[in-house]
Amino acid sequence: MAVLNRMDWYDLARSTNWTPRYVTEDELFPPKLSGEFGLPLSAWESYDEPYKQTYPEYVKVQREKDAGAYSVKAALERSRIFENADPGWKSVMKAHYGAIARGEYAAASAEARMMRFSKAPGMRNMSTLGCMDEIRHGQMQLYFPHEHVSKDRQMDWAFKAYDTNEWAMIAARHFFDDIMMTRDAISVSIMLTFSFETGFTNMQFLGLAADAAEAGDHTFANLISSIQTDESRHAQIGGPALKLLIENGHKAEAQKRVDIAVWGAWKLFSVLTGPIMDYYTPLEHRKQSFKEFMEEWIVAQFERALTDMGLELPWYWDIFLKDIAQTHHGMHLGSYYWRPTLWWNPAAGITPDERAWLEEKYPGWNDTWGQCWDVFIDNVVDGNMAKAYPETLPYVCNMCQLPILGVPGKGWDVKDYPLEYKGRLYHFGSEVDRWVFEQEPERYAGHLSIVDRFLAGMIQPMNLEGALQYMNLAPGEIGDDAHNYAWAEIYRALRETRKAS
Amino acid sequence: MALFPLTSNFEGDFVLQLLPVDTENTMDEVAAAAAVHSVGRRVRDRPGHILRVRLHGSTELLPRNLKVADAGFRPTETLDIVWQAPGA
Repeated sequence: MAVLNRMDWYDLARSTNWTPRYVTEDELFPPKLSGEFGLPLSAWESYDEPYKQTYPEYVKVQREKDAGAYSVKAALERSRIFENADPGWKSVMKAHYGAIARGEYAAASAEARMMRFSKAPGMRNMSTLGCMDEIRHGQMQLYFPHEHVSKDRQMDWAFKAYDTNEWAMIAARHFFDDIMMTRDAISVSIMLTFSFETGFTNMQFLGLAADAAEAGDHTFANLISSIQTDESRHAQIGGPALKLLIENGHKAEAQKRVDIAVWGAWKLFSVLTGPIMDYYTPLEHRKQSFKEFMEEWIVAQFERALTDMGLELPWYWDIFLKDIAQTHHGMHLGSYYWRPTLWWNPAAGITPDERAWLEEKYPGWNDTWGQCWDVFIDNVVDGNMAKAYPETLPYVCNMCQLPILGVPGKGWDVKDYPLEYKGRLYHFGSEVDRWVFEQEPERYAGHLSIVDRFLAGMIQPMNLEGALQYMNLAPGEIGDDAHNYAWAEIYRALRETRKAS
Repeated sequence: MALFPLTSNFEGDFVLQLLPVDTENTMDEVAAAAAVHSVGRRVRDRPGHILRVRLHGSTELLPRNLKVADAGFRPTETLDIVWQAPGA
């Protein structure tokens, strides 16, 4: 029997839908899970995904992708890339795997919600494939780091991180719980696929793949490029849903979901990707600065995607454009200074050559962020390590769960955005974080930040030891300088030269 | 006497920090406690200057001998700790 061409049957098969007779439409698609937009089943049948793929095609292509990524891994296993890599690069891998791998599994459940509860048949089809994508990403990003677990305990955090109360993981979970684990199917399509995956995963996976290839880590480069090919397909699930909502008079609700998710994604990437690109990746292997990546992959792409869709730029776009040159410097300084609370060893990235690069990419860096680093460097050079570690907690934002920070030194501009709600004082790192809270206070009000938990006595003893225990950081796992402060020798030598002259 | 949590926003530093103080502490003592977590760590000392306390975002400095218990702060209130030049 001749096989029909795909396009001869795809639309019919794809739009085959339920006609419920024994249950009501709301029982089949409960609004809480399917989206409370009041659109009937028939309206969702016009959902038209731009990227069409059948199950047999999916299996064939995925098999080829897997064969590619796994064979590169097998071929390079004996090349001792991990053993010979710059410690800063190892930290990139550890941060990436811990923050991402189990989140991919969680994303499979978000895709499964669209697969079951979306009223759009096309979306159900796309997210069936998307769900399998996310399972694949979870499995690969646990399997690839596993070969290094016996060499380095911190690699165990690829699996472990997601279940811990480590502060960065609290931040990541808070964001992903908000945009994908606790939203209806349509909101997931807007917040996870359109807002987060379209732009931000591109940057993490393609940007980092470029740096990995430069650093000679072709296994990692291949792995994350392979993952990104799936992301770029299933990221398109949200677009047609947005189109439908806008056509049916729901632009304001759609816009709000985009605005909330884009801001949260930005904050998370400012701590995860910013330090990696501008500080951990060895100078000679950097392709572009984080700001340049942001401008190319997020700013330009999102502006086009949003306006093509008929949406507006988020109301905070000017704040965002200003932030991409600053916030990640603070996230790096903060995560580095509080480094015992990380599951990786952050690279300081502040040798004179690296500072010259930072000054070139971010004019004014030396007069602002550099001022704080100057004091830190002097302490390390003088052997005054007691002052090179913290003795209190940074105050974190009650929305993004990341430190509340701003520009230091000569341009000092650090602001808190407080809000009293039902007798409790909340603190936010920006006007936008506070705005997100105000959109639906009861959704967020009960959450306790790491500082709130400390003040509530949930962290015992109330010191660094207690905090590390609370964050599940065992001996051998807690972070310290990636290069064991070898960079301080350069500053020691500079001092000697200055003295001699 | 009771432990009271405040939030320190120290001039020249980059991050807000948790600052546990005592309700009997004066503003000078609050500033000194905040300095422990910023000066000599990420902010250079400014010899001859004194440190003053103000409500976050305000321009009005609080009296140096004002006690935490009498200041009307809410728990975790954010305070700016700023340098004051000699003779200012």
